[in-house]
Amino acid sequence: MKSNSWRQFKAILRKDIVMELRTKEMVSSMGLYAILTMVVYQIALAEAGESFDVRLVMPGLIWVAFIFMSMLGLNRSFVHEKDQGCIEALLLSPVDRPVIFFAKATGNLIFLLIVEFLSLPIFSFLFMQGRAGYGNPVWLLAVVLFGASVGIAAVGTLLATMTVNTKGKDVMLAVLFVPLMYPLLRAAVGATFAAVIGGPGSVETFWAFMAWVVGYDAIMGLVAYGLYEFVIGV
Amino acid sequence: MKRNPLAEIMLVLGGLLTTAAYFMTFFWAPPTAYPDGRVDFAQKIFYFHVPVAEASFLVLIFTAYYGIRFLMTRQRIYDTKAKIATEVALFFVLLTMATGILWTKVEWGVWWQWEPRLTTYFILTLAVIGYFVLRNSTEDEERRAVYASAFGILVFINAPISFFITRWLESIHPIVFGGGKGSGLETTMLVTFIIAQVGMLMLGYAFYQLRLREEEFKERVEALKIEIGG
Amino acid sequence: MAESAQANTAVQVRDLTRAFGVRKALDRVSFDLPGGAFLSIFGPNGAGKTTLVRVLTTLLNPSSGTASVCGSDVVTEAVQLRHRIGLISHNPLLYPDLTAEENLLFFSEMYGLDDPKTRVRELLESVELDHRRLDVVSTFSRGMLQRLSIARALLHRPDVLFLDEPYSGLDPHAMDILDGLIAQIRGDHTFVMISHDLDKGLELCSHALILARGKVVLFEKREEIDVPEFRATYRATVGTGVA
Repeated sequence: MKSNSWRQFKAILRKDIVMELRTKEMVSSMGLYAILTMVVYQIALAEAGESFDVRLVMPGLIWVAFIFMSMLGLNRSFVHEKDQGCIEALLLSPVDRPVIFFAKATGNLIFLLIVEFLSLPIFSFLFMQGRAGYGNPVWLLAVVLFGASVGIAAVGTLLATMTVNTKGKDVMLAVLFVPLMYPLLRAAVGATFAAVIGGPGSVETFWAFMAWVVGYDAIMGLVAYGLYEFVIGV
Repeated sequence: MKRNPLAEIMLVLGGLLTTAAYFMTFFWAPPTAYPDGRVDFAQKIFYFHVPVAEASFLVLIFTAYYGIRFLMTRQRIYDTKAKIATEVALFFVLLTMATGILWTKVEWGVWWQWEPRLTTYFILTLAVIGYFVLRNSTEDEERRAVYASAFGILVFINAPISFFITRWLESIHPIVFGGGKGSGLETTMLVTFIIAQVGMLMLGYAFYQLRLREEEFKERVEALKIEIGG
Repeated sequence: MAESAQANTAVQVRDLTRAFGVRKALDRVSFDLPGGAFLSIFGPNGAGKTTLVRVLTTLLNPSSGTASVCGSDVVTEAVQLRHRIGLISHNPLLYPDLTAEENLLFFSEMYGLDDPKTRVRELLESVELDHRRLDVVSTFSRGMLQRLSIARALLHRPDVLFLDEPYSGLDPHAMDILDGLIAQIRGDHTFVMISHDLDKGLELCSHALILARGKVVLFEKREEIDVPEFRATYRATVGTGVA
């Protein structure tokens, strides 16, 4: 039974990756969205002048971009399950429902991380050249990106499974997603800020924020996992 | 359908107690003072604000509890109960927001401040509104009930996390806006506060029961319609 | 597998009720279907046909009463049950961005088949789609999709096949192909079909069931059915409309 679940997990994940490689739907739309957001940021910061230290707002800006783009991707990831009724065929097969949750969430996490790791250097290239660099080693940023994306993927997968069956799915996802994301986003921005600005004590602050991120991932991930079986069954 | 005299008693009693607490706030509980000796009149709102805030959170416990009961049993009545609990919670959450904003204006001179309690309640307000938006945009009845239950549980678990992280942030940031409310309550203040709190909970209970009865009537009408149709 | 299914009762339904609040989608439905039978379920929209099939295929739990397929209870033995049923719907239930072969291989993995490659090849040949196996499903015609979806439903050699209005949306040619395929596999399976088309449903079935407002109005063997009378009963239920 155990190995069967693992086989099913791999099959769902592989299927999602193959489909994504073929259509590039999620990654391209999320990537494009991230770049467009940066254009808007350029406008938003235009009057702030050269002396303005963009590093102070950068953590907030990248997480704004990431949270909205993640919703775009999460929505997509269920639209093709729903479109031809494939989810029904999936549910008819002898698969434990949590396997579907883990596989879909893992797929979403992978696509999210790909776009995040591609768009962060672009952000640095566009906004941070010729200014003070990062205060702490860049790998700390990778830690936050990964940690927060886990929570986004877990809660987002559950919510997207629901909202795909509602009227106005995209808006609905935002309405449910943002309030639930509040603590995670707040901690992610805090950790990113500590990593970017640096200074004495910043590493400790970083890890303190990361503790919140991990705590959120653990608690909300567990709840999402527990609720998934009910939500996917109706 | 049986009447529920308890709900009516609670409604009257809750009304009396909250009114009594209102008068006690101004005529019995002693005023507090700022460190510089000025009278802190805005503190009076505390007798209304805190009971409402605590009631809202208590009611949310029922949203989550009935959500879980619904998911376990699939009995529609639990979803109805969860929905009504959330309605009452929304009522209290909005009152909390309104009184919170008033207090912020008087105390800090601005209408809005991203202060931990206000921030948490702002997020909570959005989440509770989201709960009803979700209900309205899900057509199938059972699906609506399952989704609402799941989201209600998520909100209930998420709310304290939001609250504690904002509190924790306050502790690591320099405190810009003084928030000292004076520790330790005098007996008269405590009694006033408790009466306000109990009255508010009674009102919450009464609203809940009366709304539940209304829903039960609707259900009966629905059942009768089906009977006549057959 | 097939022989044992024919010997026993394939589908057993006892007082099956499915309700939400005061609305009953299914109201004390009971019937027994022997193995190898072909059941056609008729009824107006909202009569509970889809709900019945969704309960029998473990996608919905009953509110009360019991149901079992091939001796497995729909609630307590859902996983075993799923190994023994297949569904052919008017929706193809295939991923449009995967190739025919990838789709079937994916579902083979979900069913934990032992030698998926051989099985998939074998099935693609039997539905005459072998030459298109590397093509993405979104390029398929309606009839090809239906054939592939039959292959998908047969992957794990199920005993009972559920057909949810399989003929809707098919052109006459595709209907002929579907007829041919059903005739081919008819001997080895028990069928439960939801149908809007009275003629088609009666032509294929060995048993017929009419549902109206969640209740069984009629359950008879094909040879006992008096067609004009049957039509009249059916028309009367359509008149009652949606509960």
